[in-house]
Amino acid sequence: MVSQIRESLRAGERVVFVTLDLHPTEIRARAKALKLDLEPNEGKSLVFVDCYSATSSERPEATPGKKTLLVSSFSNLEGIGMAMSKAAQELGTPVRIYFYTISTLFLHNSTQAIAKFFQIVTSRAKMNMGFILYAVQDGVHEPMTMNLLRSLVDGVVEMRFTDTMEREVRVHHMRGFQVDSAWHPFVQMPGALGGM
Amino acid sequence: MQAPEQARTGRVSTGIKVLDDRLGGGFPRSATLLLFSDKPTEKRLFAEGFAVQGARTNETTVYVDFYRLPALARNDLLRFGSFPKERLVLVDAISSQLMVESPETYRIADISSLSSIIDCIVAAIEGERPARLVVDSMEFLADHFPKDDVLREWKRVIEAAKAVGCVTCFLFINWTYHEHDLQVIRTMSDFLVEFQSSMRGGIIRSSMRITEMGAGGLKTNWIPYTFKDLVGVTVYFPRILVTGPFNAGKSTVVRSLSERAISIDRMGTTVAFDYGNVNLSGIEAEIFGTPGQERFEFIFKIFAREVSGVLLVVDATRPEDFERAKHMLELIGARIPFVVLANKSDLPGALTVDRIARKMDLPDGSPVVATVATENRGLREALLILAEMIIGVR
Repeated sequence: MVSQIRESLRAGERVVFVTLDLHPTEIRARAKALKLDLEPNEGKSLVFVDCYSATSSERPEATPGKKTLLVSSFSNLEGIGMAMSKAAQELGTPVRIYFYTISTLFLHNSTQAIAKFFQIVTSRAKMNMGFILYAVQDGVHEPMTMNLLRSLVDGVVEMRFTDTMEREVRVHHMRGFQVDSAWHPFVQMPGALGGM
Repeated sequence: MQAPEQARTGRVSTGIKVLDDRLGGGFPRSATLLLFSDKPTEKRLFAEGFAVQGARTNETTVYVDFYRLPALARNDLLRFGSFPKERLVLVDAISSQLMVESPETYRIADISSLSSIIDCIVAAIEGERPARLVVDSMEFLADHFPKDDVLREWKRVIEAAKAVGCVTCFLFINWTYHEHDLQVIRTMSDFLVEFQSSMRGGIIRSSMRITEMGAGGLKTNWIPYTFKDLVGVTVYFPRILVTGPFNAGKSTVVRSLSERAISIDRMGTTVAFDYGNVNLSGIEAEIFGTPGQERFEFIFKIFAREVSGVLLVVDATRPEDFERAKHMLELIGARIPFVVLANKSDLPGALTVDRIARKMDLPDGSPVVATVATENRGLREALLILAEMIIGVR
């Protein structure tokens, strides 16, 4: 996902990063390890929606506002939805929204509530904001839940580790495109995403 | 030290004057308000503003927050400006979830027990006897407990609040319930305050609509609103058009009404547009004045899109221009509320408002207000009438 953000920022696009699983500081550090310094972009072409800080009972960032929009709780789906819209308004549309991860919401909300939230936010993003990419952890949800999520998006990209801990990726489907759904190995290198 | 006795009035002010005026001073004591939306909106701002407004008028407000630590909630509420801290009592539903200490008097110890949650809220109501109660938000309970239990306990909170003469705001976004469940919830409420948010051109627009339940009750149109730090929630009209025939005084109207105004003119007549920002009685409006000459009609048509309402300025001494004024109204469309400003009404030969209405053949009840824009006479009244027409309380 960080690689995707780097590509978006390099292309001069605006990015909203919704984080539920990591503190923004950790995302910045991980991005730096991939030779991507996020801080100069923050407030200009990148805004964090931080659902992590307040719910981890950590002190929120010193000056939430321009760079980071705080959401008070994983259960506050309405707050998450509005923070995404506000971030898009702050940066100007269109934006690319990266949501990391939808899986966390399932620990705090019913599937029914998340399904409706997911549907509304996806449609709002596509109609008024631009593009949205959700990360979801494999293997922690019921097959019915995964099928529901798959049915609500235009495309699914899957990533996995092989038995020998090699990384692989495939496009499961992409609406409007004929795709090769075979698994392909890939490696993560600082500064670039490389196939093999 | 014991807090001073809290204030009690017959009505509970919303803090938005134009609404309070139509509500007879605010919501009646013991009213139950359902702040509802079916998609994410900014309704929390209204609830927070309502809570702060209470504290500011020395009324005790109990705020039940299922999402924020009390310190975070208090910090958020300070965006509305200062208020006496002792008047805001927070029911803490978060500390136990995060397993941290809480200094609050009312702390929900077991968030997995609906009866324990409601017992704590009822204890806060009976202990504090507040004038206002905000429950933020009921979808938390709807999503965590069986529906029938939630509806039963919801009623228990309403009864406890009514017993102490408290206005209760239940925030609720519907993620999980069916329409017939919603109907039950509506019937438990005295006022339904619906919210919607949309994004157009990259800008979020928020609006609300108030419906008094029961036959013959108040029902407003969708009321656009905005939020500003330290000011709070205000009714907000993003585009009020000031238009009318050439030399009727439109630019003067814009300048006189506005706190700040700019004009793009040449040799004293507007060739592009006038712009001003108005703050009046809890209403904020962006007003746009158009050129009056027919050769600039293309500019008029651009500004006439998506207007909230129209101030149609006519020169009360020049009935020969009324046909042009009517034509401009027709271009805007019949559904847009308008007020006719009979300007220059202090000059000799100025027609009365009744004669102007007749000569223009306006529909019955169309408001015509005598104005003298150069002296700022009648303008605020005209704008307030227009505001009431837009929000549907006139």
